[in-house]
Amino acid sequence: MSGLEHAWHALTTTPAVFAAFGGVMWGILGGALPGISPSIAMALLLPFTYDMAPIPAIVLLASTYVGAEYGGSIPAILIRTPGTNAAAATTIDGYEMHRQGRGGEALGISLVSGVIGGLIGLAVLVLLTKPLASVALLFTPPAYFSLGILGLSVIASLSSGSLIKGLMAGALGLMLATIGTDPVSGVSRFTFDQPELLDGIRFILVMVGVFAVSELFVQSGLPAWEKAGRGESRIKLPSFALLKRLRRSQLIGSVIGTFEGCMPGAGGSIAAFLSYNEARRWSRRPEEFGQGSPEGIAAPETANNTVAGTALVPMLSFGIPGSNSTAILLGGLLIHGMDPGPMLFTRHPDFVYGLFGGLLVANLSLFVIGILVLTPAIWLVNRPKPYLLAAIYALVFSGVYSIDHSLFDIGIVLAAGCVGYLMRLLGFPFLPLVLGLVLGYLIEANYRRSLLLTGGDHVVFVQDPVSLGLLIAALLFVVGSATRDFREARRRAREREAGAGG
Amino acid sequence: MAERDPVDQARADLLVAVGIVALATAYWLAADAIPSSPLSGTVGADGLPKTLAWVLGGLAALLGARAAATCRRLGPPARPDPVVRAEARRRHLRALGMLGLGVGYVLVVPYLGYALAVFALGVGTALYNGAPRTWRLVAGGAVGAALFYLLFVQALGIPLPAGVWPGVWKGVFG
Repeated sequence: MSGLEHAWHALTTTPAVFAAFGGVMWGILGGALPGISPSIAMALLLPFTYDMAPIPAIVLLASTYVGAEYGGSIPAILIRTPGTNAAAATTIDGYEMHRQGRGGEALGISLVSGVIGGLIGLAVLVLLTKPLASVALLFTPPAYFSLGILGLSVIASLSSGSLIKGLMAGALGLMLATIGTDPVSGVSRFTFDQPELLDGIRFILVMVGVFAVSELFVQSGLPAWEKAGRGESRIKLPSFALLKRLRRSQLIGSVIGTFEGCMPGAGGSIAAFLSYNEARRWSRRPEEFGQGSPEGIAAPETANNTVAGTALVPMLSFGIPGSNSTAILLGGLLIHGMDPGPMLFTRHPDFVYGLFGGLLVANLSLFVIGILVLTPAIWLVNRPKPYLLAAIYALVFSGVYSIDHSLFDIGIVLAAGCVGYLMRLLGFPFLPLVLGLVLGYLIEANYRRSLLLTGGDHVVFVQDPVSLGLLIAALLFVVGSATRDFREARRRAREREAGAGG
Repeated sequence: MAERDPVDQARADLLVAVGIVALATAYWLAADAIPSSPLSGTVGADGLPKTLAWVLGGLAALLGARAAATCRRLGPPARPDPVVRAEARRRHLRALGMLGLGVGYVLVVPYLGYALAVFALGVGTALYNGAPRTWRLVAGGAVGAALFYLLFVQALGIPLPAGVWPGVWKGVFG
């Protein structure tokens, strides 16, 4: 069966198409709510995918990511509050256009650019993932161990200023992964006589707690966000002439989005801001930027939707999630027994191409659903915050209970929420914790299997060429990120000294 | 969350470092208590946990040393702004209240049953976050609880807790 046939089969024999529609719709609504990032919108859905077949479940989550990246621009344009981090750059010119009475036009540019970016991202995903995954058959237990280490090395670039805290969060995640039955000997570890812990702590519970519940805790102490005007619920799609003008900024957005998405740790926010800057540099009307420039919306919106596709390249090819959203997707894959990484194409081609097909439907349907859902999204943004928090809290608890019919799980989610709140408070990044938790089993099981095969000789990790290559890549990644952090810290110190001196 | 004063942040990091060292020690001790098994291989079931405990402890020591150096370099913290401090305390208390609502739900749901507990959670959370005390809140809570019940129990078939009501029903009506 060819890839196209697999995709067609998945779309026609499973509810993947409905999952794509539903995911995009939920993503737009979730992304439109300030504070509900794409990863939180996905985490809220995760419990509901538990009993679904793998293809619709993952299509639902991935489509949520696609929808949320566009949804984030709605409040960014209408109330100057980005619904997602990646939409922050859109606020600059989007809100300015809205103030000039061109809010509908700004929303139209955002939607069209998002669709274009999403389709380009998907094309890159389809073209790059298979060649990267073709090294599948070369992987041995030592290589899998080194792959896990490479995944963990992403922590270095995710730790935004504090490598030590990132590494500590990663170690905590690995510690959580050791709870439960030992993968080699079968003895129980850190279960404290609780039978619920014998199977370990499910990623899903930690993700929902750390991302969604901690956000609810934070939001409870923040003032209500602004409200959008009632007359703003009409999108004005860009004219052909305007589309022609936007080509250059969309091209810049898609190139930067491709590069940043494929690089673990970069993400949509960086891509959006870089694209905004580059679009201004290359624009024929740079003076309009900041004053309501359509290009200032097109570039970041194309970039963050491109990232929604290209961020899946390292996740599907190597099992390395480079952002919070792809970490949730990775969790979803593992829940459904789909080990991401090199063997995914060999073992589950139907799944991979089904996902690609679902993403195509999601990106195409974004255009229509984006127009249809705008009014409900504005309605939702305008609901009083206390009711929204109450509904989300009830949704979290009901969804989590549905997984295993266990109140113990809700307790774990609340505990993870407290951990997430403390991490936010103390400046610890989340993603290393999730990475450690998700990659813990892969690392420990393959490390010990490798040593069982060699009688305890660690040389096997550098004798295996794939393993050696991955370990070198991990080392380069850590050294590169640490050097960048070090330089950044020195630059800041110099600036502080200069400021203090005069 | 708002950006902190560097000295304040360093002091917080110092406390965190001490806490994490304690956690790493407790984790190491718990790892040491893992029973050995002939199937464990050369590394053993306690191998990774003990290594992690050392790594975490080492990182915490590094964080603590860095924080201590920052405190020494920058001197005593600026006099804390009472308004900022009160605002931070208010936010933490609000978060604690949200946690309390969640814990309360877990405690009452086996007795009240899902429908009533989710109604109480919804109304309680909305009230706690500043919703006005009106009949609309109660009506909205009831409609919300009914929708959640229909979605989870009826449509998705999840056996959510029924509470004491089936027993009461049986006792009253046989």
